[in-house]
Amino acid sequence: MHIKLVNLKRDYGSLHAVQDVSLEIPSNTIYGIIGRSGAGKSTLVRLVSMLERPDAGEVYYDDKRVDDLEGKALIEERRHIGMIFQNFNLFSSRDAAGNIAYPMEICKMDKAYIKRRVAELLDLVGLAGRGDAPISTLSGGQKQRVAIARALACKPDILFCDEATSALDPQTTRSILSLIKELQAKMSLTVVMITHQMEVVRDACERVAVLDGGRIVEEGLVSDIFANPKSEVTKDFLSNLTNVKDSIVRWSKEEGRFTLRFRGGTTDEPIISNVAYETGATFNIRAAGVQHVGGEEMGIMVLDIGPDEQHVRAAVEMLRKHGVSVEGEV
Amino acid sequence: MDAQLISQVMEATGETLIMVFFSTLFSLVLGLPLGVLLHITGKEEAGGIMPHPVFNNVLSRIVDILRSFPFIILLIVLIPLSRIIVGTSIGTKAAIVPLSIAAAPFVARIIESALKEVDPGVMQAAKAMGSTNWQLVYKVLIPEAMPSLMSGLTLTIINLIGYSAMAGTIGGGGLGDLAIRYGYQRFRPSYIVAAVIVILVIVEVIQLAGDRIVKHMMSHR
Repeated sequence: MHIKLVNLKRDYGSLHAVQDVSLEIPSNTIYGIIGRSGAGKSTLVRLVSMLERPDAGEVYYDDKRVDDLEGKALIEERRHIGMIFQNFNLFSSRDAAGNIAYPMEICKMDKAYIKRRVAELLDLVGLAGRGDAPISTLSGGQKQRVAIARALACKPDILFCDEATSALDPQTTRSILSLIKELQAKMSLTVVMITHQMEVVRDACERVAVLDGGRIVEEGLVSDIFANPKSEVTKDFLSNLTNVKDSIVRWSKEEGRFTLRFRGGTTDEPIISNVAYETGATFNIRAAGVQHVGGEEMGIMVLDIGPDEQHVRAAVEMLRKHGVSVEGEV
Repeated sequence: MDAQLISQVMEATGETLIMVFFSTLFSLVLGLPLGVLLHITGKEEAGGIMPHPVFNNVLSRIVDILRSFPFIILLIVLIPLSRIIVGTSIGTKAAIVPLSIAAAPFVARIIESALKEVDPGVMQAAKAMGSTNWQLVYKVLIPEAMPSLMSGLTLTIINLIGYSAMAGTIGGGGLGDLAIRYGYQRFRPSYIVAAVIVILVIVEVIQLAGDRIVKHMMSHR
């Protein structure tokens, strides 16, 4: 099911949480929406998931308008979407199986069917046999697995993940992301992932929209955006990513002034040598590695360029001409 | 200790238990819907699922006015009502009416504050799944708040034991009445001692039982 947002707006008093957001989220994909805290992500997901109404603008699921639904029609439509949250939001009054059964109970499904489906879902998220576990006895990762099973119980077309991995450690984050990816492919879901972590976008999403100050500042394929970030916010997200990234080998304590990104096609050529040879610039490499971004391999290098500003400018210009993305102040 | 005292204390204990049991029951019947309404029509940030500021304010004021009404006056004011409902204005049965009505607003506030403790995120999740408001209340809100509701119930019962002591004013009987009439007015302190001991024991038993139930509930979450 594809989602279309048209000129969405939402204000809270004088705060313009979401201003004029238009977006097409294609069917059967994992779509990331990234932004810093306060960028309007949470409001946006509440608008798109029918939890809140926009002040202006429209939301369409396939070609059906959903932002103006009311009463029974609204409740009915909500039953066709799934949602998971940063704090899991599980019912502490129910055990794992009871949580997963809830969305089916409210649709008044047959009891025997619910029981079968719960067992099936527990198995699907890797928690077979843990149905009678009280929620407080589960780890963060297990709680999110229960939440995923609960969200998928009624076979939704769309899954919204609101900072779903933000409360988890990196290892658990990876396992939850790979579970979401696996389930997305299996169930042909449209997954909308709201996050402030670039790692999540890199590891799970196909496309991404970057949100800042309530507006979309950049949108496209994740591999394109990583190779060629345009907005300051995106660059900021990416530079934070290089610092924490474990697949990059760092052999200098210096931070490095420039971050270079080489896409698939360019990684075979000796670009750095060529540039050094032709411009006379010197390169001091601080860190380098390979990242997997949106299913593509991307070389990444953190370095300083010398010896003076003139050489720096020439070198950066030439690198860019060769299709290398260069981040950093020239 | 004479046999007369023992039999009178036993009888008064029975009356107190009957008054407390039925007034707890009826104050819950009245107070539970009120408490739920107070909560769900409250502000959305505080977990209100059907915010309605005007209704909420009016209801809130009414509940507060009833709560600040001195019980001894309520007891007298409600004499005609008791006559309509139970057919008499004196005795244990008649005392249940003002006791229930006095406790209902208290129960409403206790329930409201227990419901406020439910994580708004959990309510939001249930709403996003397509729960109706009714389902939100009885399948999520109340079960999630159950341990707090249980300790609120304990508190209500103990309060009602205190209130029931005043039921003697309308011939309601019970331990408080016994202590006043025999112990105080007829100068027989042994009645006061006996009544107080029994009340202490009842309160302690209810408190302990309530705590155990809450603990049991929490250990299964």
